[in-house]
Amino acid sequence: MFHWLEKNPFFFAVAVFVVIAFAGLVEILPNFAQASRPILGAKPYSTLELTGRLVYIKNNCNGCHSQLIRPFKSETDRYGHYSMSGEYAYDRPFLWGSKRTGPDLMRVGNYRTTDWHETHMKDPVAVVPGSIMPAYTWLFKNIADVDTAYAEQLTVQKFFAVPYNTELPMADGSKVTVALADTLEGARASALEEAKVVAADMKDQAVKDAVAAGQVPEIVALIAYLNRLK
Amino acid sequence: MNKTVLAAIIVTIAMLGFTYAAVEMAGGLDKLIKDGDWVNMLAILGAVILVIATTFVVTKYVRQMQNDTASGKLAEETWDGIGEYKNEPPFGWFVLYLIMIIWAIWYFLAGYPVNSYSQIGEYNQKVAEHDVKFNEQYKDMDDETLKEMGGSIFIVQCAPCHGLQADGINGQAADLTARISEKSVKYVVLNGSNSNLMGTSMPMPDRNGLLNSNTSALITDAEIDAVSKYVAGGLTGTEGADVFAGTCAACHGADGKGMEMVAPNIAQMSPEMVGMVLNHGKKGAIGAMPAFTNLTEVQHKAINAYVASLSQK
Amino acid sequence: MENRPLEYDYTVAKLFMYNAIFVGVAGMLAGVVLAWQMAFPQFNYILGVNFAEYTNFGRLRAIHTDSVIYGFVLSAVWSTWYYVGQRVLKVSMAESKFLMFAGKAHFWIYMAASVIIVIGLQLGITSSKEYSEFEWPIDAGIVVVWVLWGISIFGLIGIRREKSLYISIWYYIATFLAVAMLHIFNNAEIPTWIAAPGVGNWYHSVSMYAGTNDALVQWWFGHNAVAFLLTTPIIAMSYYFLPKESGQAVYSYKLSLLAFWGLMFVYLWAGGHHLLFSTVPDWMQTMGSVFSVVLILPSWGSAVNMLLTMKGEWQQVAASPLIKFMVMASTFYMFSTLEGPIQAIKSVNALAHFTDWIIGHVHDGALGWVGFMVIAALSHMAPRMFKREIYSKSLLGTQFWIQTLGVILYFTSMWIAGITQGMMWRAHDEFGNLAYSFIDTVVVLHPYFTIRAVGGTLYLIGMVMFAYNMYKTMTSSRVVEESELQNATPMGA
Ligand code: HEC
Ligand code: HEC
Ligand code: HEC
Ligand code: HEM
Ligand code: HEM
Ligand SMILES: [Ca+2]
Ligand SMILES: [Ca+2]
Ligand SMILES: [Cu+2]
Repeated sequence: MFHWLEKNPFFFAVAVFVVIAFAGLVEILPNFAQASRPILGAKPYSTLELTGRLVYIKNNCNGCHSQLIRPFKSETDRYGHYSMSGEYAYDRPFLWGSKRTGPDLMRVGNYRTTDWHETHMKDPVAVVPGSIMPAYTWLFKNIADVDTAYAEQLTVQKFFAVPYNTELPMADGSKVTVALADTLEGARASALEEAKVVAADMKDQAVKDAVAAGQVPEIVALIAYLNRLK
Repeated sequence: MNKTVLAAIIVTIAMLGFTYAAVEMAGGLDKLIKDGDWVNMLAILGAVILVIATTFVVTKYVRQMQNDTASGKLAEETWDGIGEYKNEPPFGWFVLYLIMIIWAIWYFLAGYPVNSYSQIGEYNQKVAEHDVKFNEQYKDMDDETLKEMGGSIFIVQCAPCHGLQADGINGQAADLTARISEKSVKYVVLNGSNSNLMGTSMPMPDRNGLLNSNTSALITDAEIDAVSKYVAGGLTGTEGADVFAGTCAACHGADGKGMEMVAPNIAQMSPEMVGMVLNHGKKGAIGAMPAFTNLTEVQHKAINAYVASLSQK
Repeated sequence: MENRPLEYDYTVAKLFMYNAIFVGVAGMLAGVVLAWQMAFPQFNYILGVNFAEYTNFGRLRAIHTDSVIYGFVLSAVWSTWYYVGQRVLKVSMAESKFLMFAGKAHFWIYMAASVIIVIGLQLGITSSKEYSEFEWPIDAGIVVVWVLWGISIFGLIGIRREKSLYISIWYYIATFLAVAMLHIFNNAEIPTWIAAPGVGNWYHSVSMYAGTNDALVQWWFGHNAVAFLLTTPIIAMSYYFLPKESGQAVYSYKLSLLAFWGLMFVYLWAGGHHLLFSTVPDWMQTMGSVFSVVLILPSWGSAVNMLLTMKGEWQQVAASPLIKFMVMASTFYMFSTLEGPIQAIKSVNALAHFTDWIIGHVHDGALGWVGFMVIAALSHMAPRMFKREIYSKSLLGTQFWIQTLGVILYFTSMWIAGITQGMMWRAHDEFGNLAYSFIDTVVVLHPYFTIRAVGGTLYLIGMVMFAYNMYKTMTSSRVVEESELQNATPMGA
């Protein structure tokens, strides 16, 4: 049979394809619907948080940082509750990473604050002697791309029914609504409002001035994102 | 001895040496054995098998390159001059392959069938074992042990902000080796404070609520400077003492040691105060400190004791 | 069969060879910079603080991985395809204007896409998915490039004179099919301009899958991209170049057969080993783990077949740097395909995942197996394509030892670093609290990061020597006759 296949390239290719395609189905399909369900308490990203997430991706922070807490005592001691599938329901793409050159960041919002991030991102060794993380000085100058984040929000709302402007139940019984503006201007304005809250806790004068002038520096968006990782 | 075999042995020994070095770096072989963490053991075992198996299998084939000769029946065809022997696959390889396939089938169907294992179940069990072991061992700690334990937690959880020396890394976070800085006192007096330090949401008023009973007027800029210095200096000296007595003592007590349900101890760091900060976080002149709700009760007690001791030399 | 020797046309093979050599040096230079950055973070600002945005570790990392895999390795794969394909199918590219055109289009569109990718990554345009960082316009470009390669494969096969397909061709076909499938499914994404025309970047898109599902598809892709870019086409090379260079017949057809179909079947099931202890279901993880262990055998099958092909030919191993590279490549292949399965065992992965031990595994495969095999393949092809002998045998021989030392330094240091780090992360002190802060586990690695950087630099020096040797081979070394090109590659002193 194999000799025959080797003389008949078409059937050879079909045979190879069947053999390799088969496993993919078994691996991916059975759990698909189950895994896409959000957990109680999961909420979609606000415009500024999503902008920050794009900054995170742009700088490939996921090359050094994971966002996946495995169910081991040593990890939950260090980073908090182990990860659960439904927590990632609004993550497109997922950002689990595959290398921990730096610590996991899945719940970094629980144990770090705006001002700490500010100092640390500007000069990591100033707060963590021996750190090998690069200093991200340009984030303090570059203006973040709020528009693309908004386009992404519209996309996930339309195609994946991500529940914006919808009351969502939280684990503690409260209700939360993540707003999505109707217009680009509205989205920019709401991102700026969020940015003001973050900038209020920051020290860098240039950043504060930029926000006061209606701009959102990348660092502000990034910190908004990091703070929401809980 | 044959050079190739010798080389294989050297490679093996060198790699085992490297693996040993890694174990030493991470605390040493004694600790590895004492802890009995079988994840560590298995990883080390895997590394050892990897080196030995590869080295010796490759050595076997190198020896065949050296001593054997090619043989077998050639296939009729050639491709660009390349021929193929019709040799059987090496017996050992073939048998292992079959065994592996049978093992895999057994694994799924009988050994550990689908869904018979839960990683979360295993986790819960491990955590329970851990807790039992350590709760038992550290049920009653003396002060020294408590502080020592607190110190070990501090390095992991708090040092990123407060520094290994607990000095706050150049003003990045609070300097825990002294009760409070002048800057912080001044900030609190100017703006008030609402960090849940009393365990309730009872705030401290800002300057517009601070009446100096000596002068019967709201506290002045000069008085604020004076009292800030006084408090930061550990309530010693004379400058500012009158302001303190007239304005602050009503709540914080004449000695600044605070009053239950009214105002915190600002003369000394107390375990209760640290506990409040850990439970509720704190926001002030320096910045924000997050709450630490992930720690166990024992860990809480330990770290409170440790941090309180830092400023009480 | 005809007797007249065919005039094979190597135009496209040459183009891909130039690119493979160039990107090989450039991509590994990026790797070397990364390695120094991890040892001494000042290297993040190597062109000054103002350029750190473009030279920092994060940005460079993706440039390194994509350029070595899709620049260096893939170009080399295609160079060998356009060489080996013709020869084992006994048909010349020159026989079909159409295939010639498709081949050139294949190269030039690929080059255009590569340039855009590198510039894009520098600017931070990425989807974050490892080894699949590209936004949808590039994804589409990749499909075009892939289809062109498909045309070449099946076009050449269509007009072949050799009726039955040689082993190498099996592996090229598998590479083609698998990567096509993986690429399409992993890049199912919705451009944001559909829902929001004119808002934000037109090239931005959103993945069709979220969270755990996205991870599942990504690592089904990621694992098999390794399999079908860093394994199968390299095996294709080894089945051609080792027997050809040594003049030995392949040891066993049956072994080739069992190893090939075994590999095809088992590889695809093993992707779960990238997701152990994550939020994908337990049974899926177990499956990944079990199949990874089974995978040792079909992997070792090919390597053993190679080593046994050299049975009794020690004098060749001793004499020829090319054969040395290939025997060493097979050895590292065995090493990394035993290491991988060991790391795929759940409790070992609990320690190894996220650490530098994985990086060590990546590079004993990438440098020892892939790099060495590619170097041997290019060295074998160059004299035949340019009709000149290899410029310097001693240079190639020296390169071999320098690079071998480089690989050894690389994986031993990462071995120690990874195991150390993994154990330190897990360690609890006598009170049952974490024994080390995270930064403790970073600082101890400094010496190993430094050793790795030195090892990487040695490997890069080897690559530069190789580039020089090849340049001289192409331009100015001794011209050779067809008759000198039967088996062992002619080399100048
Ligand atoms: C070269 C690898 C590297 C890159 C790239 C990198 N980091 Fe880090 N990061 C580290 C290391 C190492 C640490 C631990 C030492 C420290 O705290 O500085 C760290 C620590 C952190 C922490 C502190 C977490 C904690 O629990 O203490 C945060 C937050 C962080 N990084 C965010 C980022 C963000 C955001 C980016 C991208 C913009 C980024 N990092 C890029 C290596 C990196
Ligand atoms: C009306 C009662 C009241 C008066 C009067 C008062 N305090 Fe307080 N003080 C409080 C309370 C309540 C808190 C805790 C607030 C919180 O939870 O953040 C506090 C907190 C503080 C703290 C913060 C401790 C820390 O660790 O951050 C300082 C410093 C302080 N007071 C200084 C003063 C000084 C100096 C004066 C006089 C000028 C003064 N207080 C007068 C009630 C008072
Ligand atoms: C993300 C950074 C961060 C971490 C982690 C952190 N702290 Fe703090 N901490 C701060 C900052 C900032 C302040 C100062 C707040 C202010 O008053 O402005 C502070 C204040 C405090 C205070 C109050 C000091 C005073 O005199 O008012 C105590 C006590 C304290 N921290 C203890 C701890 C302990 C114990 C831990 C570890 C379990 C810890 N901190 C972890 C940032 C941090
Ligand atoms: C039997 C064959 C193999 C098996 C079972 C295997 C298994 C593994 C495992 C378990 C990991 C680590 C996953 C993690 O914990 O993050 C891994 C990572 C990796 N392996 Fe292999 N491996 C094999 C062969 C190879 C070969 C030959 C190469 C060629 C270079 C290779 C390249 C890689 C790469 C690049 C990664 C890193 C993926 C990432 O980015 O996380 N592997 N492999
Ligand atoms: C001079 C040679 C090289 C050096 C010094 C080098 C160095 C590096 C460094 C420092 C990293 C980052 C590791 C980390 O994040 O901790 C890396 C990642 C990587 N390199 Fe290389 N590299 C070299 C050659 C290659 C080659 C030839 C290939 C492939 C054929 C390759 C494939 C990869 C891959 C796939 C990764 C990502 C690994 C992962 O995410 O798990 N490298 N390399
Ligand atoms: Ca990776
Ligand atoms: Ca894509
Ligand atoms: Cu894999």
